[in-house]
Amino acid sequence: MIMPTIDNSWWRHFRTVGGVSIIHVDLSPEKECEGEALAWLDEQEQVRRQRFVHAGPRRRFSLCRAALRAVLCEALNCKNEQLSFQTSRYGKPFALVQDMPASASFNVGHSGNHGLVAYAPTGRLGVDIEERDAQRDLSLLIDTVLGPEERTALALTQGLARTRLFFKLWILKEAVLKALGEGFALDATCIRIPAAMLGGKKSGMLRLPRLPAVTWRIEDLGNQEFAAAVAYELDTASAKKDEHPDA
Amino acid sequence: MASTEERIRQLVADNLEVDGKPLSSSLDLGVSLTEAGVSSMDVVAFTKVVAQEFNIEFSREQCPTINNLQELIEFLDSQAA
Repeated sequence: MIMPTIDNSWWRHFRTVGGVSIIHVDLSPEKECEGEALAWLDEQEQVRRQRFVHAGPRRRFSLCRAALRAVLCEALNCKNEQLSFQTSRYGKPFALVQDMPASASFNVGHSGNHGLVAYAPTGRLGVDIEERDAQRDLSLLIDTVLGPEERTALALTQGLARTRLFFKLWILKEAVLKALGEGFALDATCIRIPAAMLGGKKSGMLRLPRLPAVTWRIEDLGNQEFAAAVAYELDTASAKKDEHPDA
Repeated sequence: MASTEERIRQLVADNLEVDGKPLSSSLDLGVSLTEAGVSSMDVVAFTKVVAQEFNIEFSREQCPTINNLQELIEFLDSQAA
């Protein structure tokens, strides 16, 4: 099966952050490409697709998974038929080529009309995206997700600025959680977003109490249409360089 | 008194939607909310609503072991026993 090129498909290169390539997937309803995407999915993915109750999530899954397949086939130099996926204990997928685990790190997120695929050859990474909903009741989420400094920063905002800050913090933490691959088994309030990022800076580094030796770089990818972020593990040399840029 | 399943189905109907449409009352309880298309933000908020309704707290260890609504109902019944 011949994969379409980047220029005539429903995904486009979005950003490169560090060594991570990020691809935007257009999930808008007017894109009539679900049938094409569906043909790329293997039997296991088609079964999973059928489990979605509503047409919208089925469509988003098909388009994002097909885009992921195209990205990985190119990166791993393999054919679509040779590529399959399995999931870790907590549901994070990993790739296999001809039934052998592949050296590839990737993650996918989608919300509404937008999807993101993040890929790097090595290192754990997570990406997430969420269309902002100004009507959402945040009261159920704030205590579950935000730490004390973050709650204080949020309390200083109101209206649209409050919505934007909450979604930014949520999405940064989700990206870290997805990089770890443990979902909300980890207390999200323990992920402390750097103070400079509470004030508007776009990127920063953090460490988690349970994994103090690992440095994570987080980057706010949000724009007017959506909140989005990527988190990726830095190797030791990169972490030192980022901590001491003038060294 | 309503059963745990009836209460959970009501909470789903009152609180969860996908693409602006409420989840069907005939939702398969064996399907995870994520597979039903519910966003992670809605899943977390729903967990809080369930905790309030049943006056319990979910530990971090318990969260990954509950994969769908059927397992949630079984967990809630085991807590009440």
